[in-house]
Amino acid sequence: MVLVARQKQTLFLLAVGLLAWLVPGAGHFVLKENKRSIIIFTTIMLTFCVGIYIGSIGVINLFGATPWYVVGAQIMNSPIVLALGQLTRGGAYPVYGWPNEIGQIYTSTAGLLNLLCVVNAVYLAYLRGVQTAGG
Amino acid sequence: MLSTLFIWLICEACRQPEAKILVKAIFLIATFTAPEKLGGNPQSMLWLLPLAAAIAIIYKVTKLPKITAVNFIKETAILFGSIIVFIVIAALALHSVAWLITG
Repeated sequence: MVLVARQKQTLFLLAVGLLAWLVPGAGHFVLKENKRSIIIFTTIMLTFCVGIYIGSIGVINLFGATPWYVVGAQIMNSPIVLALGQLTRGGAYPVYGWPNEIGQIYTSTAGLLNLLCVVNAVYLAYLRGVQTAGG
Repeated sequence: MLSTLFIWLICEACRQPEAKILVKAIFLIATFTAPEKLGGNPQSMLWLLPLAAAIAIIYKVTKLPKITAVNFIKETAILFGSIIVFIVIAALALHSVAWLITG
């Protein structure tokens, strides 16, 4: 019985984490933290959009010469980044210099901030599970 | 390829007068396919301000136990100010070191 409850809890934590990655703020929305989820969604989407506005979608160069840590941080935004990476594959949207750097910094930071929110959502879900179990 | 598609869509949409919103939307999306012209001038350093604001907002939204408008704005403004002050101090220190080394 305890094992089943733990499995359910683990599945719930995974679902929260996955949702929070799929759509920024969705993890908090599932936990009924509506204000937080709206603020997270707006801020991360705006930061990401500013990044691709400055440097164009060419800053998402997943299969090019972009360093792995930048690619990893960009992917943390949402799986949409993977679709954008397919669009820009083969250097279809070349971007160099300052626009490229500022765009990469913005999109990477948005991804890292979303990672923080994913971790926070999973932690909140875990704490609630512990509280309901009487821990 | 995407730019060509946008141009074709705009040409198609312009033939219909009621499709003004569609044209505006296409122009908006098209701005994301070409980079902005930014130089390496001191003014471009101002791009750090929105980034610092985003970091302050997200940090505070995950840290505050309860979100109320006044408390959230106050806490975020304090953190944003702290980040900017620290950046200015770091910039001044680095500038001084560079000035001392290069004369």
